[in-house]
Amino acid sequence: MATEVVLPMLGITVEKGRILKWLKSEGDRVEKGESIFEVEADKVTTEVECPASGILKKILIPENVELPVLTVVGVITAEGEEVPEKYVTGKPGIAEPPKGAPLEVILSSPSVDVSERSDQIKAVPAARKVARQYGIDLSLISGSGPEGTILKKDVESYMALSRVEMAVPKGEEKRATPLARRLAEKEGIPLESIRGTGPHGRVTKEDVLKASEKRKAGLPSEAPVETLFGKTIPMSRMRRVIARRISQSAFTAPHIHFFTDVDMGKLIGLRNESLSDFEDQFGVRISINDFIIKAVGLIIREYPMLNASLDGENIRINPEINVGLAVALEEGLIVPAIPRADRCGLEDIARMRVDLVERARKGKLTIEEIERGTFTVSSLAQFGITYFTAILNPPQSGILTVGKLDEKISFINGEVRTKQVTRFGLSVDHRIVDGAVAAAFLQAFKGKLESPSCTFLQLT
Amino acid sequence: MREITYAQAINEALRENMRRNNRIILMGEDIGRYGGIFQVTAGLLNEFGPDRVIDTPISEAGFVGTCVGAAMTGLHPVAEVMFIDFTTCAMDMIVNQMAKMHYMSGGRGKVPFVLRTNIGAGRGAAAQHSQSFHSFFMHIPGLKVVTPATPYDAKGLMNMALADENPVVFVEHKKLFITKGHVPEESYAIPFGKADIKREGNDITIVATHALVQKTLNVAEEMSREGIEIEVLDPRTISPLDRETILNSVRKTGKLITADEGCVSGGFGSEVAAIVAQEAFDYLEAPVVRVGSPDTPVPFSPPLEQFYIPDEGNIREAVNKILEYQ
Repeated sequence: MATEVVLPMLGITVEKGRILKWLKSEGDRVEKGESIFEVEADKVTTEVECPASGILKKILIPENVELPVLTVVGVITAEGEEVPEKYVTGKPGIAEPPKGAPLEVILSSPSVDVSERSDQIKAVPAARKVARQYGIDLSLISGSGPEGTILKKDVESYMALSRVEMAVPKGEEKRATPLARRLAEKEGIPLESIRGTGPHGRVTKEDVLKASEKRKAGLPSEAPVETLFGKTIPMSRMRRVIARRISQSAFTAPHIHFFTDVDMGKLIGLRNESLSDFEDQFGVRISINDFIIKAVGLIIREYPMLNASLDGENIRINPEINVGLAVALEEGLIVPAIPRADRCGLEDIARMRVDLVERARKGKLTIEEIERGTFTVSSLAQFGITYFTAILNPPQSGILTVGKLDEKISFINGEVRTKQVTRFGLSVDHRIVDGAVAAAFLQAFKGKLESPSCTFLQLT
Repeated sequence: MREITYAQAINEALRENMRRNNRIILMGEDIGRYGGIFQVTAGLLNEFGPDRVIDTPISEAGFVGTCVGAAMTGLHPVAEVMFIDFTTCAMDMIVNQMAKMHYMSGGRGKVPFVLRTNIGAGRGAAAQHSQSFHSFFMHIPGLKVVTPATPYDAKGLMNMALADENPVVFVEHKKLFITKGHVPEESYAIPFGKADIKREGNDITIVATHALVQKTLNVAEEMSREGIEIEVLDPRTISPLDRETILNSVRKTGKLITADEGCVSGGFGSEVAAIVAQEAFDYLEAPVVRVGSPDTPVPFSPPLEQFYIPDEGNIREAVNKILEYQ
């Protein structure tokens, strides 16, 4: 049976990508799992694995052509099998695009639409609509309706599992006349901030001009002044995901919480001392969080249960230590993870942290970057929070919380001294981690931060 | 508030309008001395006399045609066709005259005429006196088709019909004539083309007419105990039809059942299903299910007739089918 090779979902907000290089040629034997092409999206280049073994019978999309994710780019058949009729050249969207033709037009023709391809699949219209809107291939979804019919909720739960739902649906663009759209772009006014007075709230040229005048006069745009009090508002997609995942975590994983005060004096000293040299050498400002991430990575090596997740009756200990950092967004929060934090140098951690946080705020993370996390660090230090408990980021078994830096008076050898202290918290899944293990972890962490020179000498 | 029957509610509307408007006359078989087969016109001969309440020979084409002519020349007749089955005898008068004159005269001739008739099986009256083909008339532009399900609606809709300067087919239901309900004593009119949301719910929309409105409400109550909330809509007039209310409800629930006593094929439910498929396709989360009479003549055998009439069991079956997609 023929298997379609598709351009995979490359990230939660990535809608398009381009094949940089086909690593196999038409007619080559391919094995499931080996790399078949290189794809670039949002400056990230990835190799894509072959979905099946067989012959790469047909390459439908040439290199260096931008196309929507989930487009079929090639067909793998069994030995001796012909390419099914529907992929044969001549059908729109599958033929090689004529030189100079706008590819957008070719690719948006109906035969490329993923839900249109799945015409043998049973799905209710509402499910097809959602699939179409988010570019989801219905053939990847198993239906729970009669005779395996795909229901709307099946698509929704598929999206939740693959976290597609944070993506902006294609259809929900603000309605605007073409002229208004161009004008708004020229003026640099986001269409969303303009109240449309045309039919169905369509933004007209006059609306844009009005908004532009208001802006020049220093008045706030109209949209955000609406009061929320007394209103019932639907949850955004991101909010729904957070709500579901957090309640799942809170109501299935029994949480226990531990706190310890860490003397941050030496670490702050080390950071301040190395700050400018570090910046000169590596071009990035190192933060306390970078040290914390590194220290966590190192300690997890000794406490594998804090790098684990529950899998039925088994405990799965993740092979890599990928430390996530919770990033607050206007819409909610997201936790991109630094891969193999225990093995990274501080400069790599700092660089990756800056990049991940920035892209998190722009909604440009890839699914991989979010899903790879095995442990989470969450800091509210900048809000002046003394300490707090956190809910585990499922399916992880541990989350470390960071409070504000406090100056405390303490007696040392009979002398009154001030100490710079931060209260750290550790919340763990008690099904996996017992109190003594969590306490030992936190104690070791405290030790690492209080003797930073030793800790951060160990670089591999 | 006082309770009166569906038949009394229509009687009251006729009486009040006849008192106010002496252009209104009644015609039909046995409507005068006998008061109509279902007693809808009882007492009106005594009050308004034989010039205004006219017993006719058994000649539907004759008296319906007379009414069309009378309407065009200044009266406001109300005809009773004893059973909807008999409208077939007057089909030329209804379809080609009553429905067309206003249009064909360029709007100069009006036909203010209410043709009353009724549908429904269940009286052991066999295949020629028990049919429910009101959806025939939905298909004819120029006719308004009214389908009251409660005494309250019956009075309000009759008042509206008698205020209309164009032809109305007022389709009553045999089994509803003796049902009682709250009806205000004062005069009120219910606008055409405005569906009544009899019950709100988020899970399934059921568009029901006539006797199936109450049966649907009974099932909705039962299902509510199982946590399924059914929205019950009664269009009240199938032409004009309140598409928006139906579409909005389906956009909310994603699921549609129609419940109408006509034979399923080519019926009212088919039209509603088609509208939804056309206008709210992307919202459908399950196939549309039509509840109605089987595509056969109404059987005379009482057990078969009972089996034939759509009831709570059929609605429940439809709901269960839809719930597979829940």
